Amino acid sequence: MAEYSCLIVEDSPMMRQLLVFALARVRNLRVTEADDGVDGLRKLASARYDIIVTDINMPIMDGLKLVKRVRSDPVHKDTPIVIITTEGSQEDRQRALQLGANAYITKPIQAPQVIATVKELLKIE
Amino acid sequence: MTTEKRSSSSSQSDAPGADLKSERDEFLKKFSRGSQLTEEFIKDHERLQARLQDLETENAGLRAKVGADQAVRELLLKIDTLESEKSELVSRYRQAEAATSEFTARVQEVESEFANLANLFVASNQLHSSLSARGVTRRIKEVLAQLVGAERYAVYLVNPEGEELVPIASEGVPGNNLLPIRINGSRIGEVHKSGVARVAESDPSLGTLEDPPAVIPLSVDDRVVGTIAIFSTLAQKNKFDTVDFELFKLLGQHAAQALVAASLFAQAERKLPGLEAFLDLSV
Repeated sequence: MAEYSCLIVEDSPMMRQLLVFALARVRNLRVTEADDGVDGLRKLASARYDIIVTDINMPIMDGLKLVKRVRSDPVHKDTPIVIITTEGSQEDRQRALQLGANAYITKPIQAPQVIATVKELLKIE
Repeated sequence: MTTEKRSSSSSQSDAPGADLKSERDEFLKKFSRGSQLTEEFIKDHERLQARLQDLETENAGLRAKVGADQAVRELLLKIDTLESEKSELVSRYRQAEAATSEFTARVQEVESEFANLANLFVASNQLHSSLSARGVTRRIKEVLAQLVGAERYAVYLVNPEGEELVPIASEGVPGNNLLPIRINGSRIGEVHKSGVARVAESDPSLGTLEDPPAVIPLSVDDRVVGTIAIFSTLAQKNKFDTVDFELFKLLGQHAAQALVAASLFAQAERKLPGLEAFLDLSV
């Protein structure tokens, strides 16, 4: 069975822990954590990931900038990206999707929704 | 005349007697009758033979028909068997389908329970992962914002006189609204006095400072020492779920304890208690 790798980019340790718990429910998914966008890019440069889950509001480099950078990276330009945002407005979602995000989840996050979104993007049963 | 003579002479010499003649006639009659009967028998025989042939043909036809009927009967029987097998299979399929959907519902229920437990574990873990009052306060705010989805909220502690609730942390509330609240005569004070959380059933995203949709008393060792008031939630959070009520309970029981522990630790100049503090516990 194929093994997948996921990069979580989130500055809040609590949210990271929650995402790790949620994604531990997805079989054969290996999860790596990054504290912010810069840390995320560093980790993306050293390994290949099958999916990226990132928060929008982060210090140093926010999620939208990270999406832009990932889309210009030849290795990860097609990697699915899930945006996690506090904002529920249509405009923010549109902006994230226009930049190249594949899906968005609004806070407060629900583990089943995170799992379903990741599975759908990775095409896992 | 000659003829007559000859005849009469002949009859006198060759002609049989009257008895013989009568016998001959009788015989001829009988013979003729026998011949007639024989002919009739032959005709009957021929007719019967023809009838027999017809019957044999008819019989063969009937036999074939019976054979065909038997095949039809066998086919009908087979159809009945197959129909019954099909009904049984359909019934078993429906049972399996019902079991599958019940199983799926159960899996979803378990997943949802797991998600709720994960939220509670993470919240509890975070609340007790800091021994600084600032760190604990930041984590209380994180739980409220990230897990509950609160947009505007404040954390109050009771003053030493027990008359007012003093805000110690807040989010989304203008400074001029962050004033100490009298315990008597205020909604938040009422919750503090009763020690029972008040959670409105209406859309919490439409809550106001005057009518907060959720007020949670904070307790330490059965003493209410403060409250959390959620004035409104994020727009997409239009109702409180089961997990939110569990989170309110957890915050009510653990937030103040974590704050008190952090405060005592600071007072002790971040020194851990010596072993002697634990030796006389009589456990």
